[in-house]
Amino acid sequence: MANLLIVDPVTRLEGHLRVEVTVEAVSGTQQVVEARLGGTSFRGFERLLVGRNPTEASHLTQRICGVCSVPHGVVASMALEAACGAKIPANARILRNVVLAANFMQSHILHFYHLSLLDFAAGPDSPPWTPEWKVDRRIGESDSARLIEHYKTALRVVRQVNEMAAVFAGRQPHSPAFIAGGFTQVPTREAIDQARKHAATIAAFVRSTYIPDVEYIASQYPEYGKLARGNGNLLSFGAFGLDEGKSFFGPGRIVAGGGEVQPLAPKAIGEHIRRSWFADSAPDRHPSEGITQAAYPKEGAYSWLKAPRYDWQPYETGPLARMWIAGRYRKGISVLDRHKARAQETLELVEALPGWLDGLEVGGSVYTAFATPTEGTGAALIEAPRGALGHWLRIAESKIAHYQVITPTCWNASPRDDKDKPGPMEQALVGTPVQDREHPVEVLRVIHAFDPCLACAVHVLRI
Amino acid sequence: MLITRRSFLKYCAAASAALGLNPTDLWAVEQATGRPEAPSVLWLQGSGCSGCSISFLNYISPSDPKDAADVLIRSVSLAYHPTLSAGAGQTVVDEVKRADNFILLVEGGVPTAFGGHACVPWSDGGKEITFEQAVRDLAGRAKQVVCIGTCASYGGVNAIGGNPAGVKTVREVTGGSTLHVPGCPPHPNWIVSTLVSVLQGKNIPVDDRGRPTSIYGRRIHDECPFEDRGKARSFGINGKCMEDLGCQGPATGAPCAQMKWNNGVNWCVQAGSPCLGCTEPTFPNPAQRRRGRGQGRGPRN
Repeated sequence: MANLLIVDPVTRLEGHLRVEVTVEAVSGTQQVVEARLGGTSFRGFERLLVGRNPTEASHLTQRICGVCSVPHGVVASMALEAACGAKIPANARILRNVVLAANFMQSHILHFYHLSLLDFAAGPDSPPWTPEWKVDRRIGESDSARLIEHYKTALRVVRQVNEMAAVFAGRQPHSPAFIAGGFTQVPTREAIDQARKHAATIAAFVRSTYIPDVEYIASQYPEYGKLARGNGNLLSFGAFGLDEGKSFFGPGRIVAGGGEVQPLAPKAIGEHIRRSWFADSAPDRHPSEGITQAAYPKEGAYSWLKAPRYDWQPYETGPLARMWIAGRYRKGISVLDRHKARAQETLELVEALPGWLDGLEVGGSVYTAFATPTEGTGAALIEAPRGALGHWLRIAESKIAHYQVITPTCWNASPRDDKDKPGPMEQALVGTPVQDREHPVEVLRVIHAFDPCLACAVHVLRI
Repeated sequence: MLITRRSFLKYCAAASAALGLNPTDLWAVEQATGRPEAPSVLWLQGSGCSGCSISFLNYISPSDPKDAADVLIRSVSLAYHPTLSAGAGQTVVDEVKRADNFILLVEGGVPTAFGGHACVPWSDGGKEITFEQAVRDLAGRAKQVVCIGTCASYGGVNAIGGNPAGVKTVREVTGGSTLHVPGCPPHPNWIVSTLVSVLQGKNIPVDDRGRPTSIYGRRIHDECPFEDRGKARSFGINGKCMEDLGCQGPATGAPCAQMKWNNGVNWCVQAGSPCLGCTEPTFPNPAQRRRGRGQGRGPRN
């Protein structure tokens, strides 16, 4: 057991995560040979939505995650629209895109500066930045001081991004503006101008500070450009619908780190629970079906996360997967590539924003009335900042009869599946060298590169 | 780092003007937070979404070049926050155990199912500690317990519909006194001003729902600029009263209409949405009206 290291809690992420790694000498280097990730909180969202008005789902599911509430609000609206056959005005589509893009930006900037940076550089000499793990610090005092200034600037920028979103969406987080049928706020010239001004400031920060800082960290820790490749399977559901069926990020898959982009068939998604604290039932159930019950304790289980699989295979999802599948970033798969793709994506979104704002019709319609059916099903897939997000809905007697969500972190931080195949992050941790067994900072670097959000992942809505 | 304390006070001046604090109070803030014997702050997250923390960060990064946010964190000595703490594992657990003069902030409800194993925020020496245990233990030792957000205060979204996680409020679990800063999420001003008052050791008048009356004493509807502009009959029409579309403003105590959100740029009703009543114990169900005005209607979009 001396080889088993446990970090609990893993901090600087949303929600509760525990990691166990087995460390052994391989070719003379102490490194991770096996890893287990446990989501240690059960949200129990399962029954919350059942029996409620289907229009409430876009508000209630935002409460799954305070960092990425926007994609939940958008995709819940889309799932109900799918069930109703409702079409939304172009203005509503664009406003959803604008607010979702802002949500990506705030999440990515917050992730790099406030959740990840302290794995590489020292923070200020006071709580909550002390006590810290002083291991493998390669960045000198003056460069650290500069990065900490950027940490503070980034807080201000994150606030500004949220302000830009709130100009249209009412407030952030947990905006009331996402409703099936469209969006609540009609765009005004003043709001568009305000957003444009914010976008310019944010773009300047991303270009002059965020991207150079990621490059700087990469230059100081070059070996992380080769670490944590994982299984190389990448998945994206696609997002930011543009005119006539096109989208900024298309859906697709990459298998084993190479080759052509493969098509995505939502039917091939199934969830495994052999290693999760849920009662056993049929294997590999599609999210639109299935009855599952929490079961604690359970022999062999170690997580409140289920293990979603595509055609029985684990897939990594997130900015790198999305950017790779869209052909916008294909330099490699590693800790550093995950950070670089995330930063690059932030820039491309903020640069796309002014064009999207141009497409808004001032004073134009944002909402189309629709009738909720008494019976029906609907599903919608989208990308959240951290990757592929799906909502599946069934309506009976005009109420929600079944609701299921699979979040990005469910894919990435999933435990072993029915064939005992590790989840993407568990796989990526294997081969990570560990210098100090008391303070395995290398493990944190690998985990944080995926930007896990356990608040999202540990509920798995399934009824 | 002391220069930043000045900008902190500048920030407090702006924040507290809205909440009726005066410059003498601000001097006291500096005294309260700056002296070595000032309590530290432990921020725990249970069954929730981290949205209260994100809302808190939204305020504490104002556009002034002297970043007040980080000053606040510094001044307040945030000894533990799961999303912000640099350390991890036993290092931060030891820090929490060591705290002996602290204010406890709890975000999220307390899951009690499976003997509390529905939520395990950390392990101590290899032993799993449930959130329920952690809250009980720390609340017993804290100078004051403050519930941040509707979930910790009243259960909120996580406690509706017979949740199998058995989510309870902090007060239900500890049986002790708690101060409530509800909202889903709460406005950053509400969190900061309450924390400041607590650190000052001030007596904070609260209503029958445990909320500071200085913040929650007025109803949204009474201050709503759209109250007399005619009723909206459908979504997508802005600038009208949303009461017929299920607005909870008439029964909801909060200063949103005056204070607005995200640096004062907008708020729910201005954005063409009904107020969802997120500061009330009933949330996300319809809020209970007072003064015999009957029950609010549910959202009807």
